[in-house]
Amino acid sequence: MAADLLRITGVSAGYIGEDVLHDAALTVAKGEVVAVIGSNGAGKTTLFRAICGLLRPSAGKVDFDGTDITGLRAHRVSRLGIAYVPAERHLFPTMTVRDNLVLGAFPKHHEPEQLDFVYRLFPRLKERTGQHAGDMSGGEQQMLAVARALMCGPRLLILDEPTTGLAPKLAAEAYAALGELRDRGLTILVAEQQVPLVLALADRGYVLEQGRIRLSGASGDLADDPEVRHAYLGVA
Amino acid sequence: MTAVLLDGVVLGLQFGLLGVGLTLVYGLGGVLNLAHGQVAVLGAIVIARSMDAGMSTGVSIVFGLVAVGLLGLIVDLTLMRPVYRLRGESRVLLGLLLMLGVGTLIDGVLEWRYPIEALTLRVTGDPVSILGVRMSYGSIVASAIALVVGVALFAFLRFSTFGRATRSVIQDEEGARLCGVNPAVVRSTIFVMSGVLAGVVVITRSMTAPITVTSGFGLTIMALIVAVVGGLGSVSGAFVAGILLGVVNTVSAYTIGSYATTIILLTAAAVTIVLRPSGLFGDRT
Repeated sequence: MAADLLRITGVSAGYIGEDVLHDAALTVAKGEVVAVIGSNGAGKTTLFRAICGLLRPSAGKVDFDGTDITGLRAHRVSRLGIAYVPAERHLFPTMTVRDNLVLGAFPKHHEPEQLDFVYRLFPRLKERTGQHAGDMSGGEQQMLAVARALMCGPRLLILDEPTTGLAPKLAAEAYAALGELRDRGLTILVAEQQVPLVLALADRGYVLEQGRIRLSGASGDLADDPEVRHAYLGVA
Repeated sequence: MTAVLLDGVVLGLQFGLLGVGLTLVYGLGGVLNLAHGQVAVLGAIVIARSMDAGMSTGVSIVFGLVAVGLLGLIVDLTLMRPVYRLRGESRVLLGLLLMLGVGTLIDGVLEWRYPIEALTLRVTGDPVSILGVRMSYGSIVASAIALVVGVALFAFLRFSTFGRATRSVIQDEEGARLCGVNPAVVRSTIFVMSGVLAGVVVITRSMTAPITVTSGFGLTIMALIVAVVGGLGSVSGAFVAGILLGVVNTVSAYTIGSYATTIILLTAAAVTIVLRPSGLFGDRT
């Protein structure tokens, strides 16, 4: 489709010679929020790492806004406008909040407006601007990880389980922030185990099981699907 | 005793600068540069030979530093490629062994071709009085250079975009890549820079004592001890450890005798590691 920002086709990827992701196909249109749901080990992280250049796919193609980015290394993918927030966050522990954020804009020198925007979205970060990232709470670190990803003005934001370790209130706040970003036109791809939260925000979703995409559709349809409800929403 | 302590600080500042290059290269990529001192000595010999050939001190120094930088670049672009393709322990071991080989090679070539060559930079000037002690002009100049270069390096790492990128790779390489930093470019640049820093140290050392073709290994060992005690990967650690060990060096030479200094330094290093396994500032960059 013409408005697809991200399109992956036939992507397989894995570790130490064995694929854990098989023949994955997925699209994300400009301005959409797309969810990827699946249990632990389903392959969500492998999928995202293959898109972002942290992992080279063994097969398939990753297309970003008309450019083939398959196998491109992570720093190049980042510079093309894809920002990835991994589950482990990978912040710089003994660097300040501000320095972490400024690095998000690398290699461009950060614009003051970007910093302002991010501080307005996450006021708690502004309060802690001089604090070491490693000294912050889990919720604050998650905020910082997302904020850092936004500093380069990405066209696509990919998040891997952003609510891990967050209390329900903070998880809801995180999704509120994502909603605000979506309203400003950011395209978002998010993997999540907290299915109700992500389906409430997403336009469409994919269900990943044992490395394969089993189901896809509008988020409302997925939420009503009996298999999804049974497997991920705890409905008998 | 004040004189001994001040001499120790003078020596220590240079030790620190020597250790910083080594610690950065290790922190960035797990490569222990066991040719650190030898590459620097090669630069010193280039300077000495240039001066012998009649070139001015300034031009010779430029030649020497360029030679060191170029050699670092060549080693990084060739020998380090297979090293960085490995991960973890294998990378550390291969890097260590290859650089040991490079160091031995340089040692051998220099001893074979220029066995009696040495670098001595005579710095003319009257002794300066610091805290009631008359310090030779050479040691004042040496300290000043080491201090200025050290502060410049610190500012560079702390405030410049590339410096920040360098620290980010040391702290979390994957995070750095996700921010758009190319770790390979950072590693190569710092590798070359670390060689040039070591070159600066042999220049300052030569102001108080000659640098001979056999000085290389001793300098490498010193850099290694300083880096380990300071905490591998920590720039501030290397400087603090350098000054500490410089003072230990001069104090033990004064009170016991210079034959014992190496043993005492190694013992001091061992004690530090036992008490703080990751080095003095091992958890900070």
